[in-house]
Amino acid sequence: MFLRSTVLLISLLVSPWLDAYSLSVEVLTKKDSKLVNAVVYLTSEQPLPPKSDNSVAHMDQINSQFVPHILVVQRDTLVDFPNSDSIKHHVYSFSPAKTFELQLYKDQQPEAVAFDKEGRVEMGCNVHDWMLGYIYVVDTPYFGKTDENGRITLDVPAGEYTVHVRNPRIKDDESTLVQKVNLTSNQNITFKLKKKLLPSLELYEESDEFSTYE
Amino acid sequence: MIRALIALLVLPTITNAVEVTGLIQGNWVNGDDLTSYQNHGTGVTRYDDNGFNLGQAFINVKQDIGKEFSFHSIINYYQDGEQNLGFTQLALTYKPLTSSKTKFRARAGFFYPEISLENVDEGWLSPYTYTNSAINSWIGEELRTPGIEASLISPGRARGSAWSWKLHAALYKANDPFGSLLAWRGWALHDRQSLNNDRVNIAFYPTVISPDVINGPAYVEPFHELDGNIGVYFGLHADYYQSTNFRYYFYDNRADATKVNDEGLYAWHTIFHSFSFQHKFNKNTRIISQFMFGSTLMGERFVAIDFRSNFVMLSHKVKKSRFSIRYDNFNVVDTGDIFPEDFNDSDGYAVTAAWRYDFNKNWQVGFEYHLNRNTALNRATVNENISVDQRQSMFVAQYRWR
Repeated sequence: MFLRSTVLLISLLVSPWLDAYSLSVEVLTKKDSKLVNAVVYLTSEQPLPPKSDNSVAHMDQINSQFVPHILVVQRDTLVDFPNSDSIKHHVYSFSPAKTFELQLYKDQQPEAVAFDKEGRVEMGCNVHDWMLGYIYVVDTPYFGKTDENGRITLDVPAGEYTVHVRNPRIKDDESTLVQKVNLTSNQNITFKLKKKLLPSLELYEESDEFSTYE
Repeated sequence: MIRALIALLVLPTITNAVEVTGLIQGNWVNGDDLTSYQNHGTGVTRYDDNGFNLGQAFINVKQDIGKEFSFHSIINYYQDGEQNLGFTQLALTYKPLTSSKTKFRARAGFFYPEISLENVDEGWLSPYTYTNSAINSWIGEELRTPGIEASLISPGRARGSAWSWKLHAALYKANDPFGSLLAWRGWALHDRQSLNNDRVNIAFYPTVISPDVINGPAYVEPFHELDGNIGVYFGLHADYYQSTNFRYYFYDNRADATKVNDEGLYAWHTIFHSFSFQHKFNKNTRIISQFMFGSTLMGERFVAIDFRSNFVMLSHKVKKSRFSIRYDNFNVVDTGDIFPEDFNDSDGYAVTAAWRYDFNKNWQVGFEYHLNRNTALNRATVNENISVDQRQSMFVAQYRWR
């Protein structure tokens, strides 16, 4: 009798999570072009599963650039900063979500940094002034970045969610970058930005092989 | 207590890491017959004899001191020249971490202004040709900043702009003989940078060494302080992304041209303007150009010249090969001094073509052909033809550790 009621209780608790659906999110600019690398994440009034793994995320330094340019992690994730270049980097952030600085020498790996506060962390390098990278810290296990088609698909349990979109180029007020969804089946939603994007400046990613010497 | 002691001992080695890299470059040269200025001849290339040479050898030491200071030095060995072991750069840099979009940097020591877009490899070498342009050959042999430089840096990316800019201003001493080489030897083309206490030879021009005329030595020691005056330079860099770069420098060593030391080395009051430009058409192809003009004055108008030079270089990379070709043009004009028998006029042009092949990140081989045609009136005073063609070819092997 005890065993049966326990099984019933567990199945009642777990059942909402068993019905997983696909939520496909598309992000379009004011001019209807697809926005690549937009951060998309879901929050909810209902309790979300706690952070389940202790995996470490990576923000590499390759050819004097942050790789990836934009990283999204769940709150309390450890991020390490490998240095794939043969020269030193000095990574820093003054962002309220995480203020830190790390000197990255060749063949040395400093301890990973814990990102324990939600928000956007903008990073630079005090040696190479053109380097710029972002870590978005979100308080949810449901997140990702849009692909080259400006789209991301998240598989999440049925329920009510708020969908958020972020990107350093977006000028729209953050309060307008939310949509509520009640996920009871597979669903597609689209975000259409109202304001023109900031310039992409992606040409800065084309580092010169001789930029680093004086 | 013990833990605190261990932390004190270990921490500096972790946080203040030393980076040591180095480079060695050997070559086989088929040199020109005209004796080089290095051996008191009137030739304007580096080598005389055919054969093997150690072209470059240096150790690059970088040491962080805390988070905002760093020390940097290039210690060189040259088999040729008058000083064989020394340093070409030695400087302390201060660059504080700041949340401001405009950053500050200061340097103190013995270093190059960032005038050149050609000498952008480690140790101020050119990654394009082995023989530097006339302009940067001269900067390498006579110009250094023994002093301090303050810079404001505005990286465009952090401001959301495609344009970045830098402003530099420097105060220095000990660059007083700067200009002498152009006045007598004229422009030269080579890759031997002067060491900290170096001496650069010139031919035994009768008017230079004669007690009745200049009464100086047949050499220059570039890094002397003779008059106590403080020199200045200002630089402005503007970069469009990392694909197009402009640099302008104004230099004035503010020397008192009447000052002379026991060796007969004069202070030369030298002023120049330099414009550098680089544009990358794509990842593999770029054009680099520089234009410099200025003047120098020595003594009670013992020597007075205007000088000018420019170069255009195209460089193209195909897989592991880099091909570069450069055209240099240069002249020196006597602007009327009190010794008409001391000829200072010279001019010429040069073509330098190089191929460099990277086997891997350590080994590189290459070949360079250099031709220059130049005229120097004072060759007549040492019974030589005033106009010469000089040819030099070299095979080079380079090993770099990093």
